[in-house]
Amino acid sequence: MTRDIVNEWFPVAIAALLPTAPGRETLLLGQAIRITGVDGAPVVETLDGRKLPVKIAYGHVWTSLGEPGEIFPLPEATQPGRRLVDVGSVRVKCSPLRAVENFLDIAHFPFVHTDILGSEPHTEVYRYEVQIRDEIDEVWATKVRFYQPQAAKSAEGGTEIEYMYRVPHPTCSVLYKTSPPRPGEWDVITLFVQPLTEELCEVWPWMALFDDETSMAELIHFQQMIFMQDRSILENQLPRKLPLDPGMETPTRADMTSIAYRRWLKRNGISYGAQLVAA
Amino acid sequence: MPNWVPAALSADLSIATAMPAKTPLGELAIWRGGSGRVSAFHDRCPHRGMRLSHGFVRGEMLSCIYHGWRYDGTGQCRKIPAHPDLVPPAAVRAGRLACVEQGGLIWVAAEGTETAPPEVGGVLPLRSIAVERPIAEVAAALGIDGLMGKVSLPGCKEALTLALLDAQGRTVLHALMPEADAATRIAASRALEALRRGLETETTEAAQ
Amino acid sequence: MILYDYILSPECYTARLMAALLGKRFEQVAVDFHPGAEHRGAAFRQVNPAGRIPVLVDGPLTLTEPAAILNHLVADAPEWLGQGPLVQEWLARATHLAASLGGARAHEMLGQPGDLDRLQADGIMWLRILEAALTEARINGHAFLTGPAPTIADIAVFPHVALAPDGGVSLDDYPAIRLWLRAVRSLAGFIEMPGIHRLHDLSPEPNNEIGGDPVVASA
Repeated sequence: MTRDIVNEWFPVAIAALLPTAPGRETLLLGQAIRITGVDGAPVVETLDGRKLPVKIAYGHVWTSLGEPGEIFPLPEATQPGRRLVDVGSVRVKCSPLRAVENFLDIAHFPFVHTDILGSEPHTEVYRYEVQIRDEIDEVWATKVRFYQPQAAKSAEGGTEIEYMYRVPHPTCSVLYKTSPPRPGEWDVITLFVQPLTEELCEVWPWMALFDDETSMAELIHFQQMIFMQDRSILENQLPRKLPLDPGMETPTRADMTSIAYRRWLKRNGISYGAQLVAA
Repeated sequence: MPNWVPAALSADLSIATAMPAKTPLGELAIWRGGSGRVSAFHDRCPHRGMRLSHGFVRGEMLSCIYHGWRYDGTGQCRKIPAHPDLVPPAAVRAGRLACVEQGGLIWVAAEGTETAPPEVGGVLPLRSIAVERPIAEVAAALGIDGLMGKVSLPGCKEALTLALLDAQGRTVLHALMPEADAATRIAASRALEALRRGLETETTEAAQ
Repeated sequence: MILYDYILSPECYTARLMAALLGKRFEQVAVDFHPGAEHRGAAFRQVNPAGRIPVLVDGPLTLTEPAAILNHLVADAPEWLGQGPLVQEWLARATHLAASLGGARAHEMLGQPGDLDRLQADGIMWLRILEAALTEARINGHAFLTGPAPTIADIAVFPHVALAPDGGVSLDDYPAIRLWLRAVRSLAGFIEMPGIHRLHDLSPEPNNEIGGDPVVASA
């Protein structure tokens, strides 16, 4: 069971904000491409003129350098009552895989997202469950609980929040999180990563929330704030690529999701953005 | 392999803070505990590779900014906040170097180095200044043979003691001078600015 | 008072930080600067025809320049105005830091157009000028740019310098800047913005089981 990264779909633009002619140049897996909105529809091509496949999904324009199959499902994207938030892209000097791994991590909340997603002394990561679900080829972490001072823009005061994390794609992750205004439902927060190179990425967070109160700009600001707090971490991890060999880094039980993600990448033969041998 | 390397001026590392330093021994996190003691680690947390120089110091412990893993002065991990009741295994250690303060400078060397760093006496730290030129060029231009030397600069009443750090292709000059009043020290600081302009301009012009 | 605000803007942060240090509050209106470019839209141009943030509206007064906003916020706290022409000098230099370091940051982070090499080189020049000034301040026994106490000059310059690494400009070479950043971050009422972490060493250890380190060894 392996996946060829070339055949994956990757996000390259916000569907509602298509670049006007002459388009926007960017990189995908090291290859220069251009995205242009033509009569309201996205056209994606390599700079030498090869037309690439295009899909509109989850607020974004997705493309691929190879022969992509179906994009991973995200049924919440069409569930009534959700606000869909195009957060916008942020460029980060790190491996796309490091960006995803950080998104799967909760133990950093008290130190990096202080007084928002976590705070001392509430630093403990309780035991949770992690599976690689072979039948759908995804990593899932469930029953993840953490104390948060201000879990979302709509949250008032501290509360214990429950999460589920899902990795359906080598550079995309989906977080399901207790919805403060709608108990019993999950807010959806995603991290879609466009690999520019093995050590540089464009991150496109996207959300599908139950929140009718907060303005769209405030929702965007909140998520940009959270991600920008992570960015200065991601740009200062050494090595820049994600080490897949056990022994190069030191995980603990709190890192079970990251351990499963690394194992899943290895099993799928994904090496783009990964460091396979000790430096 | 160099022996002792002048990583920083003592005065530039306050109590209970950490700072980065690029050296021939690697990229380092140098930190000072609440008691004043300095330590030098490789600038990489063993957990997830985060630079430890971005970390924070409480008491005699350096904590990584990413997950708060806490290290004592020997490099031993003493606390993992995600598992507050866990005693971290002895194998979880930050890579440590030898580190001493001597003559207003913080010196580092490979762990286990038995010798003492060079003697520096009768001078106080002035400032460190980075020059975008390799150390061999800078040392030759200043007529300094080895790590340290004295230079007299125009507009500067006192000779300056310079300790040279090979900062991976660039050079950091750690300047020290005898005790002097503020005006003299400011003049010396400006003389160093002029020296850097000269070093960077000369070599640029020579290359053209 | 209303502040039209973007969470990632250093100039907006200048206004938020000054207000926080003074214990002042204002209504914050979030502007979708990125990705929506709301500041260039017709509705926002009713607020500021120049299409720029921040904007501070206080009754009939509309201010759009960071230095003017700082002056207005400290109107009843004149100790922040400082003394002498160097305060004005640094308020003006803050605009050069914004153009160079801020331009590099907008390019590296949000993909905005710009000549990155040039922006970074200009930024390094201004950082060296700041380092020299803060070195002299230190020699004079001053922790801040123009004297022993912080002024609006420090607050105008601080965000662009603290966020320089976001634009790929390292602060490793500037010991006097590092000490000054710490002095500003230690001020009572200081607030962060994304890219500037909390100084956790200023908060107490959450439990007591680890006090001192019995192991003493350095060299």
